[in-house]
Amino acid sequence: MNIKDRSITTSNNARAARLPPVVVETRGLRKTYFGKIDVPVLFGIDLQIRAEEFVAVVGQSGSGKSTLLNILGALDSPTAGTVLINGVDISELDSDGLARLRSAEVGFIFQQHYLLDEFTCLENVLMPITIRHGDVTDEDRSRMTRLLERVGLGDQINKTPDEMSGGQNQRCAVVRALANSPRIILADEPTGNLDSRSGEEVFNLMREMNRESGVAFVMITHDDRLARAADRILLIEDGLVHEISREEHRRRTADSLLT
Amino acid sequence: MAAISNAFVKYFVPRHFRFEALVALRHLSTGGGQTILTVSAVATGVIIVVFITSLIFGLQDMLTEILTDAIPHLTITVEEPEPRTLQQVSGGIEGPASSRIEQQAPKLKFIDNWPQVVETVRSLPNVRAVSAAVSGQVFASKGANTIGVSLIGADPDKQDVISPVTPNLLGGRYLGLASDEIVIDAQLAQDMNVSTGERVRISSGTGASDSFTIAGIYSRGQGPGGAAYVTLRTGQSLLGYGTSVNVVNVKLIDIYNADTVADSIMALLPYEAKSWTREFPEFLTSLQAQSASAYLIAVFSLVASGFAIAAVLIVSVLQKSKQIGILKSMGARGRQVMIIFLLEGFGVAIVGSTLGAILGSLIVYLIGLIERPATTAGQDPERLFPVRFLPLYIGLSMMAAILSTVIASVLPARRAANMNPVDVMR
Ligand SMILES: Nc1ncnc2c1ncn2[C@@H]1O[C@H](COP(=O)(O)OP(=O)(O)OP(=O)(O)O)[C@@H](O)[C@H]1O
Ligand SMILES: [Mg+2]
Repeated sequence: MNIKDRSITTSNNARAARLPPVVVETRGLRKTYFGKIDVPVLFGIDLQIRAEEFVAVVGQSGSGKSTLLNILGALDSPTAGTVLINGVDISELDSDGLARLRSAEVGFIFQQHYLLDEFTCLENVLMPITIRHGDVTDEDRSRMTRLLERVGLGDQINKTPDEMSGGQNQRCAVVRALANSPRIILADEPTGNLDSRSGEEVFNLMREMNRESGVAFVMITHDDRLARAADRILLIEDGLVHEISREEHRRRTADSLLT
Repeated sequence: MAAISNAFVKYFVPRHFRFEALVALRHLSTGGGQTILTVSAVATGVIIVVFITSLIFGLQDMLTEILTDAIPHLTITVEEPEPRTLQQVSGGIEGPASSRIEQQAPKLKFIDNWPQVVETVRSLPNVRAVSAAVSGQVFASKGANTIGVSLIGADPDKQDVISPVTPNLLGGRYLGLASDEIVIDAQLAQDMNVSTGERVRISSGTGASDSFTIAGIYSRGQGPGGAAYVTLRTGQSLLGYGTSVNVVNVKLIDIYNADTVADSIMALLPYEAKSWTREFPEFLTSLQAQSASAYLIAVFSLVASGFAIAAVLIVSVLQKSKQIGILKSMGARGRQVMIIFLLEGFGVAIVGSTLGAILGSLIVYLIGLIERPATTAGQDPERLFPVRFLPLYIGLSMMAAILSTVIASVLPARRAANMNPVDVMR
């Protein structure tokens, strides 16, 4: 099964005309890690991620979820196939071009918050802007401060990561991913390190930002409830991507095939 | 601290490098032990260089001063003919030929117009004092005791500048020497068993002979061979020079320019001018060897501190590999990451070398204050270390330290730039 079939999203062709634009698209994406022994991971993946979507990626450990996510964010390059980010073929970019593309179009959130220890929460969320423009304006500063206030970090903005809780740090990391107003945010188990309550907070926050600004989210998760709260669920199995319905996901988790 | 570095970045760093400067400064200001370690490594290197150069060049200055104090910096004499083979001299006359090089038989070398020579030389730049003198070998006798000795006839005022006698007097006086008085070396006095106030007879090769009162006895502490001093007029008549002299001695202000002055004298006058550097080439060679060892020590200590810095920076790059990964995932280019670590090296270099220069100067200053008791009673106490404060060398060592530190940070910086975010963040 291939997501191009789009059999479980709306099959209404009339609606297709009104679908939001494609942000990331892959065609025949393959990835093999070459080393002492070559590890083939992805065997030809075709998928489209559209603006406003919230997509969950599930699959067994080692199935290639992170591999796919890194390629979707131009952090890694495919062995074969095409990846288009906002219409740009990443194989045509050099490493500086890829960096600029990431800077402008992509936000990353990881299982660890990866905030810079030496910087405060506010400085951390301003970092992508500083990298991109060399400078932050007062407007950037107040926009990001407001965003931090909204996610409940108003009184934490001058704290460094080691002075904040795991959940607070991860919320800060979510805000940071939004700094350059990217078209897509790629989240690799963003709640994996958090207790269920903090995890839910972070998830709700991402969902809220997704609805509000229309930024597409692709989230890898092992949390079944969170996966089912996404718009679409992509299952990676045997190096291929299958789109599955919530029902199928529920059935598979009941059979404990996903854990 | 963060506020200061932010303000610094905002007002002093071009926008193009603000991200890099911001991160580099923050790394340094929060780096704790690592920052202290690298800054100390640079500072230590600079301290060593500042100290070594000021000590060695100070020592050289002192040695040069001691040497050149006692000798004329330039001597003007009548040009000595080139030594020739017997063949050349005999002009091809029959007989057994020899190719041995013979010095011509010593003959008197007169400088008749010496007052004019003195005037001309005195008007040259860099000349401190000029003194005409006669010198030659004579015999000193007391009873049956006869000893060969060099005699110098010169005006005591001027001779004291050229090759000082008065400061080395053990007894008696030199200034105000009368025409029948003589000042002799302590060794000679001992050999002849005479003391101040007694009389000795001096006879020269020309047959002239006279009796002199010993006005003073001096010692330069250099063993035997010290000359006996009489007035210029007395010397002229004893050695048969009439109103001429055979040498004009010159003392300079800048002794290292002696060759230049010698050249200009030879261009102006038909005499030979010899600089002290040409007369004592071994001394110059030993000075050069000392300088070379100072430079070697400087280079080694800077290289050593460079290695220490490179090691610490490599460790810090490895420690920060996750951070480098996340910066790259946020769009930082390899170049930007490289500049961060180069700037860190540069910051360490600036702070470390400034600190090193200040501490090094302080140490040089303090060590220069240490005194040892005077060797001769009544004299001023001498400095134990003849250090010299050399701003040029301090500046140069700072620059060298900055350069070596930045070079040392190139490797770690490139390593950081080439890190693959996917690999380091797994
Ligand atoms: N740099 C690499 N070199 C070699 N093999 C790799 C590399 N990165 C990943 N792999 C292999 O590729 C496969 C997929 O890895 P990936 O990290 O994408 O899995 P995942 O689905 O994210 O797993 P998890 O749920 O545990 O995070 C695994 O078998 C892994 O061992
Ligand atoms: Mg993974």
